[in-house]
Amino acid sequence: MAKATQLNTMGRKLLLEKAHVEGIRYFDVYRREGGYRSVEKALKTMTQEEIVEEVKKSGLRGRGGAGFPAGMKWSFIAKPEGVPRHLVCNADESEPGTFKDRYLMEFIPHLLIEGLIVASYALGSHATYIYIRGEYAWIPDILEQAIAEAKANGFLGKNILGTGFDCEIYVQRGAGAYICGEETALIESLEGKRGNPRIKPPFPAIKGAWGRPTVVNNVETLAAVVPIINEGGEEYAKIGVGKSTGTKLISACGNINKPGVYEIDMTISVEEFIYSDEYCGGIANGKRLKACIPGGSSVPILPANLLLKTAKGETRYMNYESLSDGGFATGSMMGSGGFIVLDEDQCVVRNTYSLARFYRHESCGQCSPCREGTGWMEKLLLRLEKGEGKISDIDLLWDIQSKIEGNTICPLGDAAAWPVAAAIRHFRDEFEWHVTHAAEAQTRNYGLAHYADPIHVPV
Amino acid sequence: MSETPLFKVTIDNITIEVPAGTTILNAARKIGGDVAPPAMCYYSKLEGSGGKCRTCLVEVSKGSEKDPRPMPKLVASCRTTVMDGMEVKNITSPKVVDARASIVEFLLLNHPLDCPICDQAGECHLQDLSYEHGKDGTRYEFQRRTFKKHDLGKYIQLHMTRCILCYRCVFAADQLSNKRVHGILDRGDHSEIATFIEKNLDNDFIGNVIDVCPVGALTDKTFRFKNRVWFLKPMDAHRDCPTCSGKVTLWNRGEEVFRVTARKDEWGEVEEWICNDCRFEKKHASDWVIEGPRMIDRHSVIAQGHYAGNVGQTIPNETINKVLHGRSPRLLMDIHSVSEVNQPNIDLSSIQGPAHSNNFNSNKD
Repeated sequence: MAKATQLNTMGRKLLLEKAHVEGIRYFDVYRREGGYRSVEKALKTMTQEEIVEEVKKSGLRGRGGAGFPAGMKWSFIAKPEGVPRHLVCNADESEPGTFKDRYLMEFIPHLLIEGLIVASYALGSHATYIYIRGEYAWIPDILEQAIAEAKANGFLGKNILGTGFDCEIYVQRGAGAYICGEETALIESLEGKRGNPRIKPPFPAIKGAWGRPTVVNNVETLAAVVPIINEGGEEYAKIGVGKSTGTKLISACGNINKPGVYEIDMTISVEEFIYSDEYCGGIANGKRLKACIPGGSSVPILPANLLLKTAKGETRYMNYESLSDGGFATGSMMGSGGFIVLDEDQCVVRNTYSLARFYRHESCGQCSPCREGTGWMEKLLLRLEKGEGKISDIDLLWDIQSKIEGNTICPLGDAAAWPVAAAIRHFRDEFEWHVTHAAEAQTRNYGLAHYADPIHVPV
Repeated sequence: MSETPLFKVTIDNITIEVPAGTTILNAARKIGGDVAPPAMCYYSKLEGSGGKCRTCLVEVSKGSEKDPRPMPKLVASCRTTVMDGMEVKNITSPKVVDARASIVEFLLLNHPLDCPICDQAGECHLQDLSYEHGKDGTRYEFQRRTFKKHDLGKYIQLHMTRCILCYRCVFAADQLSNKRVHGILDRGDHSEIATFIEKNLDNDFIGNVIDVCPVGALTDKTFRFKNRVWFLKPMDAHRDCPTCSGKVTLWNRGEEVFRVTARKDEWGEVEEWICNDCRFEKKHASDWVIEGPRMIDRHSVIAQGHYAGNVGQTIPNETINKVLHGRSPRLLMDIHSVSEVNQPNIDLSSIQGPAHSNNFNSNKD
């Protein structure tokens, strides 16, 4: 529970409120602390439609990365007569820099189970699955123990709380492929097949697991259902700002003093998040901030100046709208909340290469732009990193990423293209320096350069 | 049963009515010609195929009559069904032309381009695609990938380096045979077609994977290096086969049957699957009842043999008058007399061993 003690006491907590309570991992403590109230409330006093309505009102957006409104996703599920429906929890948290779901599942597994029961009831899923990444080898045991405890106490299994609703939750381990976090690839893998993304349409809400209507939600999204039901959608929507409602878990890592998982209510600025002692506690070793990938490895990297202020000169906040302010030209994305901070000693070319290597390795190889393009980008970036590149390689990289983006079956192609595009867009000088000062680039880093200089805002 | 409603769809400014549920690609194929997007992985006879190669990407500039919004991204026409009033741009969209050129570049990135020694050359869809949409050079300066060789038995030769991972053979094996023993191993740019542990592909209909392969990755071992396809004369033929329809195309040179394939339609797709027995074991003209020459697209290199006309009897038209607008040339040189390349007095069959440049060198003594 070492990490839990780092959690600050400021701001509104909904998910990690009780994370520090001794023994919260176990049913008795969790229940004593007010757990499973939402199951009682939902199953005994609410209809399925009312729950979906409540989630819609809450404005909860998918926490896996895309930020699609969860209530809307739920309302899309087809309800053909006599066909079972499924809820699948996407716990294949593989985005580099993201480890918030791991934290939730390790420390407060019952919060996820509680959310899953409510969501299963709302969607009419009698067999619900948790698809968890293979590398989280020890977590299935924690989850299965939580499931067994919930079942022993009548919150799972047949006739839950005497309401006549039956539900079982199964934990399925993945085999360690990033692509299985893509919802249709996850479904394929869950069915026991090769985890290739499916071609959409049909969407999982119509034809998902075993051809049945399926909803796939992220761990954090499902956990957030618990406070939404407990407090009501409208109350939940009051937290946060604009379309960024509720709280968001941010897994902060990189060159900061206090890496860890933080729950924020999306009203704080990026600057405050990085430098305040409540959260990241500033850049480690007294270094200066150079760049940041604010939402997991796939989202565009931003130099320090554009990270803290938008191109309009306004303060950038930690929420969906503000982080994406300026589009891809000058903004980034909230993504999955994997907040990766790079200090002045980090090399953006090397960082981009290592991301490109990751995406080349994780491409499923099904569609040609991603299969061939990711490998090509990796080779070019390695050449640049080793000081063997040419100036024309930078334009070539730009061209390749633009040909991958939008032309692939699933978003992995985009996820591979965006980091490369953003790195070249904002750090072109550094790439060029790797060519013009090839030998020097092997002995030292480009450094902070002008990346933290205030941006001139035309009035 | 109510009738399927007809949807009006406009592709490259040509409007056509197709039944609901038709894909954009199939609607475009009804119009035909350049309007039909190329397809490397889609195969109408294989359920679930398509969507992977991305060569058939098109722009949907109007979603439908009800929802006229354009689609935000280019879509795979083989897996997108038409809506009433949909407007699609294929070759009229610069975005599509650009994207297709880049897909071709991606497909050729690791392709060995060993057409001169590839049995598929002349009937290779990737070759056609590259000629039509590719660039004349590559920007790729790295070593192309190679694979450990897998032996698929005595009938089928696998050249993994040529494979574009269209998955057609996987679908074909899955849907034509009872137990599929080959599939995709690994992932990303090192994924490959293989049997899991060296296994023969020996199902009765497994030979069809050769026909569905758009490139030279799966070729017929019984025909390997025997002849170029454009020197052969395709003939429709049939036999009374207990396993399949027995309707095939024979590829002859003279009376000799060099290979047997299924009959392919204008999109290069098999009309009827044939069995291994017909394909690999019946290589005598006497095994077959010849129906007549197979019609081949006149643009195909295979048609260059002029097998359907009078072989060697057609004389090229004289075009000098036409290009000079009726004037006669001031000086007319006969290239043959100048170069002395053409020496009708040298009879190749009377030369000892293979012909050598010395045999044609008139200045040698």
